[in-house]
Amino acid sequence: MASNAQDNHAPLRAQDGKKDEDDEEDFEYSPFHGIEKGAVLQEARIFHAAQTDSRKCQQVLTRLLYLLTQGESFTKNEATEVFFSCTKLFQNGDANLRRLVYLIIKELPPGSDEVIIVTASLMKDMTSNNELYKGGSIRVLCRILDSSLLQQVERYFKQAIVDKAPVVASAALVSGLHMLRENPDIVKRWSSEVQDAVQSRNPMVQFHSVALLYQLKSGDRLAISKLVSSLTRGNVRSPLAQMMIVRCVARVIADSQAYADQERPFYDFLESCLRHKGEMVIFEAAKAIVELNGVTEAELAPAITILQLFLSSSKPVLRFAAVRILNKVAIDHPMAVSNCNIDMETLISDQNRSIATLAITTLLKTGNESSIDRLMKQMSSFMTEIGDEFKIVVVDAVHKLCIKFPTKFRSMMSFLSSVLREEGGFEYKKSIINAILGIVRTVAESKETALTHLCEFIEDCEFTYLSTQILHLLGEEGPKTSHPAKYIRYVYNRIILENATVRAAAVAALANFGMRVPSLAPRVRVLLRRTLRDNDDEVRDRATMYLKLLGDDATGEQQEPTPRPKVLRGQNVSLAGLERCLREYLDTPMTEAFDMAGVPEKELVPVEASKPGAPGASGSGDLSGDLSLKSDFEEALQQIPEFADLGPLFKSCDAVELVEKETEYTVSCVKHIFASHVVLQFDMTNTIEEQVLEDVSVDVDLAEAEAYEEVLTIPATRLPYGVVAQTYVLLAYEQGTMPFGRMVSTLKFVVKEIDPSTGDEEEDGFEDEYPLEDVYCSPGDYLQRTKISNFRNAWDAQDPDTEVVDEYGIGQRDSLQDAVEAVVETLGLAACEGTEAVPPNARSHVCLLHGRTTAGGSALARVNFGMDRNYEVAIKLTVRGESQDVSESLHAIVAEG
Amino acid sequence: MGLFTAFLDWLRSLFFKKEMELSLIGLQNAGKTSLVNVIATGGFDEDMIPTVGFNMRKVTKGAVTIKLWDLGGQPRFRSMWERYCRGVNCVVYVVDAADHENVEISKSELHDLLSKPTVAGIPLLVLGNKNDIAGALSTSELIERLNLKQFQHREVCCYSISCKEKHNIDLVLDWLTKHAKS
Repeated sequence: MASNAQDNHAPLRAQDGKKDEDDEEDFEYSPFHGIEKGAVLQEARIFHAAQTDSRKCQQVLTRLLYLLTQGESFTKNEATEVFFSCTKLFQNGDANLRRLVYLIIKELPPGSDEVIIVTASLMKDMTSNNELYKGGSIRVLCRILDSSLLQQVERYFKQAIVDKAPVVASAALVSGLHMLRENPDIVKRWSSEVQDAVQSRNPMVQFHSVALLYQLKSGDRLAISKLVSSLTRGNVRSPLAQMMIVRCVARVIADSQAYADQERPFYDFLESCLRHKGEMVIFEAAKAIVELNGVTEAELAPAITILQLFLSSSKPVLRFAAVRILNKVAIDHPMAVSNCNIDMETLISDQNRSIATLAITTLLKTGNESSIDRLMKQMSSFMTEIGDEFKIVVVDAVHKLCIKFPTKFRSMMSFLSSVLREEGGFEYKKSIINAILGIVRTVAESKETALTHLCEFIEDCEFTYLSTQILHLLGEEGPKTSHPAKYIRYVYNRIILENATVRAAAVAALANFGMRVPSLAPRVRVLLRRTLRDNDDEVRDRATMYLKLLGDDATGEQQEPTPRPKVLRGQNVSLAGLERCLREYLDTPMTEAFDMAGVPEKELVPVEASKPGAPGASGSGDLSGDLSLKSDFEEALQQIPEFADLGPLFKSCDAVELVEKETEYTVSCVKHIFASHVVLQFDMTNTIEEQVLEDVSVDVDLAEAEAYEEVLTIPATRLPYGVVAQTYVLLAYEQGTMPFGRMVSTLKFVVKEIDPSTGDEEEDGFEDEYPLEDVYCSPGDYLQRTKISNFRNAWDAQDPDTEVVDEYGIGQRDSLQDAVEAVVETLGLAACEGTEAVPPNARSHVCLLHGRTTAGGSALARVNFGMDRNYEVAIKLTVRGESQDVSESLHAIVAEG
Repeated sequence: MGLFTAFLDWLRSLFFKKEMELSLIGLQNAGKTSLVNVIATGGFDEDMIPTVGFNMRKVTKGAVTIKLWDLGGQPRFRSMWERYCRGVNCVVYVVDAADHENVEISKSELHDLLSKPTVAGIPLLVLGNKNDIAGALSTSELIERLNLKQFQHREVCCYSISCKEKHNIDLVLDWLTKHAKS
């Protein structure tokens, strides 16, 4: 900002100078032609001359500034040298020269220990009578002053803010904005002067003072609110300042907690700004309204009307601004924008391609089915004329459109395939591929067309990443089509023509055809055999493996196909588990074949968990944490022979402390859930130095948890001071049920005292007990938090008879988000489709939850949250599960909790 | 009469106009900026703030225009003195004669500066300021303490002055105008 205002004046002078030169020289001559750093540095020596030639010095300074703005870099030495020679120019009284000196000091970055040398001279200028000196020196000073020096000249800054000359006042205000970052305490003391400056008649001063005033108060919400309401009532005439106020208002509205039934604060003000004289105020107000949180159609209407007028403006910048805003609005409120469709249509032929692109994509969002074909045609006519980033906008719009109008997929697919063949960068091509894949996902019948287009694309694709992705897709989808054979040629061409990564992917895809379509297997085998001599290890390895799987050994003799191992059946195998099993296998004599059935399966890690920045990202992080924890436990439990035949571990619950902190013994309990057993693991620590505990176990009273049956207890033989030891209790329950209850537990042990002087322990101990807090089992323990991407499908797939609905009040909560988090936590289910995030200021919310039961079935819950004025939250819980028991158990969790 | 002299001065300045450039250095609080004020306006102010960086002043005395680079004396500026001493007609080094403790530092800074090749041969005027204060060093003591005799290939002069009492300021001006070039 600082340089802007100065530039406003500078070019005027520079032009005068240039005109003189032009008279002497040829008119075509550019004053900046052939400027070279070395020569200019030589010329800069004239600054040292005893008699400075003002005009000449100005020319040299201009050249220096030109070099700096062209990105020429000066070494530390050169910069220092030029800087010091420039300081000599303070002896010259020429105002224009002085202002160039100010600029060069700001542009040249001399070290902070050197730049300080000009401080006294600048302070002198700041207190001089020349307005231009004052303004310029203030702007330089704000760059170089430290807080102690600033305190010395503070009063001059205050005077400058209320200076009659707008140049000076603006300079001081803008400097205030800059210095607010480093020295907020000092600048905050100037607020009364800034208040005065708001009343200035100069538009620029008014603008800058409003900006500074807002920044000064920005830490304090109440003060800001007060300030804004006084400003909106006040008499601010400058359009710039008015626009600034609109921005402030927008921020205040965004920060304030507004409720649906309340009048939105300052909305009237924004609306009145729509009728302002200045275009920038109108635009800013329209933008503010459009960006309001949860804006209603009624609130939008006046803003849209104004933007519509802008659409037919003669100024390209207004058309662009308006169409860009409308394009954004069209995503959430297509109906509100559809009024502008006629104006948009004319913009499609706008000379400015950016405007045309935005117009057409907006139309795609708002338009109806009939106009699509025409729009697509118009679009392909100018796709070659716009940049990649706009092309991506267009492609995304087509993608969204196809989801809206699936029946139109044909024209869209042909559009996408034609743009796919054109030149373009990686991001652009990726977005096209994504759009095509998106269409395939929504419109099943488009698959074959899409695959054909993609096949053509990889024939000439320079991006390895995209090629491998497409080859994988071909391998997955190709065999399911009506003519799988026709894709083989495309895939095999990759093996002949591409780099190693793509070849490897092609081999895998090819093998997939062979395995899925038995009739093609012989042909695939022939092709794969040819790749056995590939010069890349990975390609050869893959070819060998797949050939083996297809029942072919290297000699080319036909064999019985090897049954496909589990790894390749697309099932998820825990890699850590597989590694462990293989290691164990290597320790055996290896007389029998390795049995894949013993390898534990991996958790289904939800796909959408990888979506960065989505609210679900934090939740998925926890999930993977659970997984690693679980496999740790699983390994530990495997070591205990009694638990070896319980089957795979289903879930390990979070540890629960069973005693108060800082008591004699600390005990925490972890519940491990198996298909028909629960293992209670108690981690104990002895915190008394003079004692050692022996034969430690936990006695669990099952009187209030009758569904369980105690099988055995494994005590810890010895618990010395400061060591963590475990004792286990194994409980059995009926498979498929979700029993719950409270278990009163007691720690039992034999205490032996230790003589503190000798460290020897006594021979005889005595038995003792120590009461623990109760262990709770809840139905949530039998559920695994797993996310699914399509809740609707899963919901419909469940038997509606299992549905159980009830309503509960869950008391006062700080916010709906709190309530959602608490309920999700208690239920032990994972929130799907990002529904765990409550939009700000929402009064109601629906959360979709999913989990897996021990039997492998699903439990789904739909939770409707509602909050009243007193922050009382009520929920309506609808559950479907694999059986009515499951649904009722889930309700029991909420009822209990 | 006064008007007439002024007119004569002006005429003389047209024909015998002389110019000189000098840098004014010395430790902080030696009285450099005060000296500038005394030379330029004849006024003296007890209450001065330290110079941060440099002040550039032009003073016209008779037919001579003097450009003064009045530099800050704080340690952070001392390394930059040399840049403003290159090519001047003379270097004026101001010492606080009443501040016995810092004379040693003053000496080493002066010798450091004058040992640099860029300032070789430039005449040096050393001024022992504040001679109104009892116990201030005399000229001969100052010459001794600053080891001024050591400078061989340059013209060195030393005066004892007082900016406050305006004592010997005329001597300084005389010396300066003599070193102006026509």
